[in-house]
Amino acid sequence: MNNLYRQRLSSHLKEMFKYLRLVFNDHFVFALLIFIGGLGLAYSNGLKVLQPHLWWAKPVIVVVLLLVLQLGRLATLFQDADVVFLLPKEAEVRQYLKGARLYSEGLAFIYELFGMFVLLPFIQVTDAMPIFDLALIAVTQLLLKDSLFSLAVIRRFQVKSGWLKQAFWFKWIVPLMILLVSVYALPVLGTLLGLILAISLRVMDKRYDAVPFDWWQSISLENNRMMGVYRFFNLFTNVPMLKGVAKRRRYLDWLLNMVKVTSKNTYLYLYSRGIVRSGEFSGLYSRLTLLGMILLYFVRGTWLPIALAALFLYLIGFQLIPFYWQFDDIVFTHLYPIAEKQRVASFRRLMFSLTGITAILFLVMVFLANRSFQVGLIALVVELVEVFVMVQYYLPLRLRKKK
Amino acid sequence: MTLQVTKVVGGYSQIPVLKEVTFDVQDGELVGLIGLNGAGKSTTINHIIGLLTPFKGEIKINGLTLNQDKNGYKKQIAYIPETPILYQELTLKEHLEMTMMAYDLDRDQAWEKANHLLSIFRLDNKLDWFPANFSKGMKQKVMIVCAFITDAPLFIIDEPFLGLDPLAVHDLLNLIDEQKAKGASVLMSTHVLDTAEKYCDRFVLLHDGTVKTEGTLPELRKALPDAGESLDDIYMSMTRADQHE
Repeated sequence: MNNLYRQRLSSHLKEMFKYLRLVFNDHFVFALLIFIGGLGLAYSNGLKVLQPHLWWAKPVIVVVLLLVLQLGRLATLFQDADVVFLLPKEAEVRQYLKGARLYSEGLAFIYELFGMFVLLPFIQVTDAMPIFDLALIAVTQLLLKDSLFSLAVIRRFQVKSGWLKQAFWFKWIVPLMILLVSVYALPVLGTLLGLILAISLRVMDKRYDAVPFDWWQSISLENNRMMGVYRFFNLFTNVPMLKGVAKRRRYLDWLLNMVKVTSKNTYLYLYSRGIVRSGEFSGLYSRLTLLGMILLYFVRGTWLPIALAALFLYLIGFQLIPFYWQFDDIVFTHLYPIAEKQRVASFRRLMFSLTGITAILFLVMVFLANRSFQVGLIALVVELVEVFVMVQYYLPLRLRKKK
Repeated sequence: MTLQVTKVVGGYSQIPVLKEVTFDVQDGELVGLIGLNGAGKSTTINHIIGLLTPFKGEIKINGLTLNQDKNGYKKQIAYIPETPILYQELTLKEHLEMTMMAYDLDRDQAWEKANHLLSIFRLDNKLDWFPANFSKGMKQKVMIVCAFITDAPLFIIDEPFLGLDPLAVHDLLNLIDEQKAKGASVLMSTHVLDTAEKYCDRFVLLHDGTVKTEGTLPELRKALPDAGESLDDIYMSMTRADQHE
């Protein structure tokens, strides 16, 4: 079982690196470097204007530590089939979890220390704590993280007692108390409390040794975790593993009913319902549109907002194109007596509607931010041309390339 | 003659699974495609519905090949897959509408038919459900309803009996009878030999990518006189003989 975890971990890491390579492609690394550089600059500039003994400094420290504490989850790498295939190996599941915990907790400790490292200058400027106290707070943070991992392990067994399963209590309230003690009163006391908590939860975990393992719960927790990871990657690249659940979204039926039920519209019918009811593409679309709108509201000038609007519009259109093949693994799409031309036409209409809506929203934001008819007019022309070129020329080009 | 498969050599990659398969399905006929796992039943079906292209040979539906008229060819097929496949984002009602749009059916007539079929399969109160909420048997019934609202002259049914309750099996067989009476042809692959024996007009026995024998039950008995009476006996002796070779 120990080997099994190692095997799974190595294939898991391989998969993660594959996605990371896709995410951190040349353009993105460049943009990210600028972004991080800008953020760092803003942080250091912000620190310069801060005075010591600000009233809100300590609450901020506590809240940031509490949020950072939530980073890093137990990666058990269980799979759906395990409930059948590993069932006879239940006795060794502890061994397996030990491997899982070692890896996950190691990774989580790095997050915690990194969070502490980023917070350090802020604490120095506002609070001027002795180094020794800072170290104690860091240790407390790690002890709290260790407690959370013990709890995560316990939650994966069929433990009956309700209070141990109260995730909210243990994830937020107890750590908050201890961090408050650390930051406001005595760091040593916080560390001591953290140590007691960590040890008692580890002892508790040992005591539940004989409790049967909860396969369903563990597998669904792991699936949720992987979903989160995939959803993150899906912001940047197409993740085939991501199969969301369809939501009815009855309140959008008026939109769908605009598609007339005729043979010509077969694919438009399918695509429009697909995009409205699946989380994947509609989420992508609405997130990017919203992000673009917020950004455009804060950007002033003539050419910068226009360039940004054009860029976001392109990004959205670009990300929508793979939706064309969304239903290809359903055999009936190959059997329908409908020409490919009709399907392309349907998709073109869908893409036109979606990018059109975004273009209008962007235009409104550009106008609201700049209050200038001239900028608005240029933005309108640029967006019109872009949508037209994208739907009329770029889309067919991409579709042909794939073939 | 509805379906004619002539000397088809084909498969998924370069290696042929089917070796010169030839058989036909006449108007108003139910032909059973019988064979072990891996005998080539699904491959044959995938070639007929046009998901695979034959390396050699040709497949005609009412004299039309896929290359001559893509849409005309596809319009003639109603297909029920072995594993139900549904759109996660469409409700039952919308699946039916998709089918009506795709096959360009008259909506009023099609809905009349659909309502009748839905009540037979006790799905009439589930029109707004998503596939995620259906059991496997229900999904299969949705596939059946979608296939039978089309007026296709050729029905291709891949292993319909597993997962359906006994009542639904009977209803399906009745529907097939109705379609046959209207002159439609049905090609059905199955492992359930006793049901096939009772209902199929003719059998095509596939083994290892070739048609071992074909014909009506009496014809099969004549071809293999020592095998026994039932389709099961004939089939077993045929496969056993093959293993001894």
